[in-house]
Amino acid sequence: MSRALAAAAAGLLLVAAPLLTSNTFVQHLLIMTLFAALLGAAWNLLGGYAGQVSFGHATFLGLGAYTTMLLHLRLGLSPWLALIAGGLLAALMAVPFGWICFRLRGPYFSLATLAVAEITRLVVLNWESLTAGPMGLLITTLPALTIFGKPVNWESKVPFYYVILILAALVTLATWRISRARLGAYLLAIREDMDSAEAAGIDTVRTRVLALALSAFFVGTAGGFYAIYFRYIDPDAVFAIALSVEMVFVPVVGGIATTFGPIVGAVFLTTLGEVFRDRFQSGHLIFYGFFMMIVIRFLPDGIWGRVRTLLVRRRAPNV
Amino acid sequence: MPLLRAIALTKDFGGLRAVSSLSFDLHAGEILGLIGPNGAGKTTAFNLIAGFIPATSGDVLLDGLSVLGLKPHAVVKRGIARTFQIVKPFRKLPVLENVTLAAFLHEPQRDRAEAQARRWLAFAGLEAQAERFASDLTLGEQKRLEIARALATKPRILLLDEPMGGLNPAEVDEACALVERIRAGGVSVILVEHHMKAIMRISDRVVVLHHGVKIGDAPPAEIVQNRDVIAAYLGEVAHA
Amino acid sequence: METFVQSLVSGILTGALYAMIAVGLTIVFGVMRIINMAHGEMVMLGMFGAFWAHHSWHLDPFVSILIWTPAMFAFGLAIHRFLLRKIIPTGELNTLLYTAGLSLLIANLALLAWSGDYRTINLDYALKPARPFGIAVPIPLAIAFGIALLLTTALYFFLTRTDTGRAIRATAQNPDSAALMGVNVARIESITFALGTALAGAAGVLLAPSLYLYPTVGEILSVKCFVIVVLGGLGSVPGAIVGGILLSIVESLGAVYVSVAYKDAIGFVLFLLVLLFRPGGLWGTGRA
Repeated sequence: MSRALAAAAAGLLLVAAPLLTSNTFVQHLLIMTLFAALLGAAWNLLGGYAGQVSFGHATFLGLGAYTTMLLHLRLGLSPWLALIAGGLLAALMAVPFGWICFRLRGPYFSLATLAVAEITRLVVLNWESLTAGPMGLLITTLPALTIFGKPVNWESKVPFYYVILILAALVTLATWRISRARLGAYLLAIREDMDSAEAAGIDTVRTRVLALALSAFFVGTAGGFYAIYFRYIDPDAVFAIALSVEMVFVPVVGGIATTFGPIVGAVFLTTLGEVFRDRFQSGHLIFYGFFMMIVIRFLPDGIWGRVRTLLVRRRAPNV
Repeated sequence: MPLLRAIALTKDFGGLRAVSSLSFDLHAGEILGLIGPNGAGKTTAFNLIAGFIPATSGDVLLDGLSVLGLKPHAVVKRGIARTFQIVKPFRKLPVLENVTLAAFLHEPQRDRAEAQARRWLAFAGLEAQAERFASDLTLGEQKRLEIARALATKPRILLLDEPMGGLNPAEVDEACALVERIRAGGVSVILVEHHMKAIMRISDRVVVLHHGVKIGDAPPAEIVQNRDVIAAYLGEVAHA
Repeated sequence: METFVQSLVSGILTGALYAMIAVGLTIVFGVMRIINMAHGEMVMLGMFGAFWAHHSWHLDPFVSILIWTPAMFAFGLAIHRFLLRKIIPTGELNTLLYTAGLSLLIANLALLAWSGDYRTINLDYALKPARPFGIAVPIPLAIAFGIALLLTTALYFFLTRTDTGRAIRATAQNPDSAALMGVNVARIESITFALGTALAGAAGVLLAPSLYLYPTVGEILSVKCFVIVVLGGLGSVPGAIVGGILLSIVESLGAVYVSVAYKDAIGFVLFLLVLLFRPGGLWGTGRA
């Protein structure tokens, strides 16, 4: 009961949050926190639950961002529909991506994902007739939209906040459902031992591709959001190795293979990161790297993983 | 028609022929012992049948249909489950979850899959350990956990790879009883084992491998009389 | 034909330096089974060491290498002792993530300290390339090539002729039996990591006069290095040497005959093909 109450309170707070402050920097910070949570949670589906540590997820972010941008700019599709299309295309790319990388295990898998991501980046960078190459793509104005009879003000950050909130809520909900269903159990089995998983009748290739496709879909929508929110993308911005690495850090710091870990990790890394970024350039990255090392050394289950263990112990001291 | 038929099953590793033209039948309700000195190709034969490694040539028929070339999980779906010589439980998962995972194959609902898993744990004498982590079990318990996991996929044939290796005499007796209970439940068993007394006691028939070649295929009482077998294998045991 | 020879020569010259970096990564993998994501940062530190020694003390990089190689060795010892030793036993993926964190930390501390400006080291004798047989050979690169050959040969003799070197090779082959034979595995791991770091740092010093320096250069170097060691077979020293030279030649010829734009992609495609079809490396000498 207290759990449902806490969830309702948290939900209410999240919905009301952008209205509590008119400070655009704080609103931007909230948006970036949810953006990081979305990426981290999406990565977590494959990297956390199934233990397939991808260093190449920027591929899906970039594909989502470019698909959204191009469908809008070239074909005049509503950017919000284009965002969904971006997610779907990213999910589709999971099939060749998985076909190549899932033949490899452990660190070899990680290195292969890195290579695939770099190849994709180079193709996008050099396919100038389609992508405008290093020049990047720009949206000058977002098409008007009315919701409940009211025109949406795209100069405000508030509408963007609600879009990213919905996406982050969807991926969290999906994670929560999956972790309690057969698929979640299968993913954990794959992480533990691939041979045993097969011996238990689990189609490990299909299951991993499915997890990757889900993961890629959400990262792709995040890419679409990025394109619309910042209204400008170029290959170095959305295909960067650093982005892939950041996506790994959020769930690892928050708590790998947990539903709420990525949120905790995102809040922690983004807010504290911004504080450091404010002090000096690249300060947040110093902090990310440092914290990553601290967590792996002292909190192997992440912040949320640790808190959860403590909570469970307090509730049921005999277990 | 036999339940399972291996036909001229062959596996080369580089220049080494690990299994050479191995043919045998397994009948419904049978316990078949598969023995041979170390390196005779027993585990390789299991890996071939279960789809863990591709065969060089030959075939494996289940009810007259080939299962060779299928992925391991597809072989399991057809009704052939296995255990591993070196146990591979999902160490960081609870014992119950280990078996539930396998029960999911035919029962996607979690509560029902868990209920089935509990029955298999009881069958293997592990119901008291259900909530513990697999890594906390003794070796004997881990071996039984693997058997429970394999049974939860509802196989018609169970391939047991040294279920008695490293167990003490009391545990070996328990394991023998378990194998007989499995057969009584309608599952045919192929058993790779070094424990001679146990295998001679519970097998209906014994196949002997030596350097990948089948040198004997007969009931236990005849196998111990077979000259080739004695020369190749039992002689070695007699010295031990 | 002249273009071909020209790009071949520059490919080989740079390749020897790639090889040196990759050898550092591969011996660490061989002994400890870890992939050090921060390896490229060690090269970056060597480059900046050379830059500052030149800038502040007017030391030629080919002189300051005498300071930086032992300094990086000590740095490697310290990193292993204080940061990595407790992490390695918790698994290769943990170590991968941990060193990814370390890489981000070092690169961005450097960015904070030295800013993101592109820097170069200008040496008087580098203004005009030497022209043996009509082929332009940048003098600093030629000297770096020579020193890289010297250092790699020295390493080879160290690994094959000294007790410590033999112990390193024994540990790489099988840590358990090495321990049984009386090898102090913990000490060997420490030394190997320091040696890998020193090689990377020294290569950085040697590369400094020929490349642009910036704090995040380590990222691309790390990635190239992964490509090389996979080509040569993870854990194989000769494989890393041949792989380094091969990648460099492929890049250099690719830039001329395929396209400058896809020069880097060629390496990655080769990398994936090898990972998929020859996981032991092109020569099958590594252990996947």
